[in-house]
Amino acid sequence: MSAKAFLRSLGLVLVRCIGTKVTDANTGEVIGRALIIPWRGKLHVIGLENAVRVSFLPQKRLTYWRQEIGFTRHEPPNFPNVTSPSAPRDEKA
Amino acid sequence: MTIGALLEWWKDIAPDQAILLVYGGRAADFNAIAHTNKIFIDDPRLRTVDNQRERQSYHGIWQQVARWLKSSNTNFEFVYFAEYDHLPLTRDLNSKQLQLLQTENADVLAFRLQRIDGTSHPHYLYHVRDPEFHAFFDRLSVRADKRVILSMFGSGSFWKREAFQAVAATEEPFPIYTELFLPTVAHHLGFRLRDYGKQNLFVHNLGDYGNGINVAKQQGAWTIHPVKEVRTRHPLK
Repeated sequence: MSAKAFLRSLGLVLVRCIGTKVTDANTGEVIGRALIIPWRGKLHVIGLENAVRVSFLPQKRLTYWRQEIGFTRHEPPNFPNVTSPSAPRDEKA
Repeated sequence: MTIGALLEWWKDIAPDQAILLVYGGRAADFNAIAHTNKIFIDDPRLRTVDNQRERQSYHGIWQQVARWLKSSNTNFEFVYFAEYDHLPLTRDLNSKQLQLLQTENADVLAFRLQRIDGTSHPHYLYHVRDPEFHAFFDRLSVRADKRVILSMFGSGSFWKREAFQAVAATEEPFPIYTELFLPTVAHHLGFRLRDYGKQNLFVHNLGDYGNGINVAKQQGAWTIHPVKEVRTRHPLK
């Protein structure tokens, strides 16, 4: 392992210990830990191991000054077989 | 592990004539392999070094195996694909997989199957930069939702022959990493894919689990990955 790769691995171990807890906005389940850094108009997500979707979250109260960005995950794939011409085409995961 | 030792493992699972060895090593070594059903594959898309960044493809394997299936006198109904270091740990692997396939009413069983479109999944983000990526599946898909992209772990998967052959017959339009191409093409052709569930516990991307075989067996593993070296032959249950 190169020195660079070693340092990156060490950094990731640290991030996964002290990074902010990322939860699924739909289920409340913990997805993992990550370092989230705003940089040059983007958010950099460092160290998160699971695949997440990002979206602004619905609000109970209308506020003009604050919105939340949250994380969600897809449902596990559970699509039907639609190979036969008569099979339904409207399916969901 | 030698190829001879590897074949011995698999002969506990399936008869000799049902084991097809697809060899991607050196041609000279291939000729020396004492096994009837063998194919040499000389595909630069398989022989990558940085598999993910070079978008390694198993599609060449799928095509060659599909040709072999057509030429075979045996009417095989299912295909179990396994990389060399993904070993079976139970004699009744095939019946267990058939049972799961039936229970799930599935066409394909895959390890770590997940939907990754619109997510932070690195393989998705790496591919979606190319506008042709989604466009290819848009053209291919028989499904209502053409945006779905699936990912699976590539070391092993179980297929109904029809699904396997349909994927083999679909040309790869530009390099797409095999862990995305195979499940997503199968999905958009209309086949049903399901995950191996708790068997995922025994399938890892890194390391060498040669010393973890007994523990995995005790925990109910059907297979294990990766195993690079096995010093003693473990009798299968």
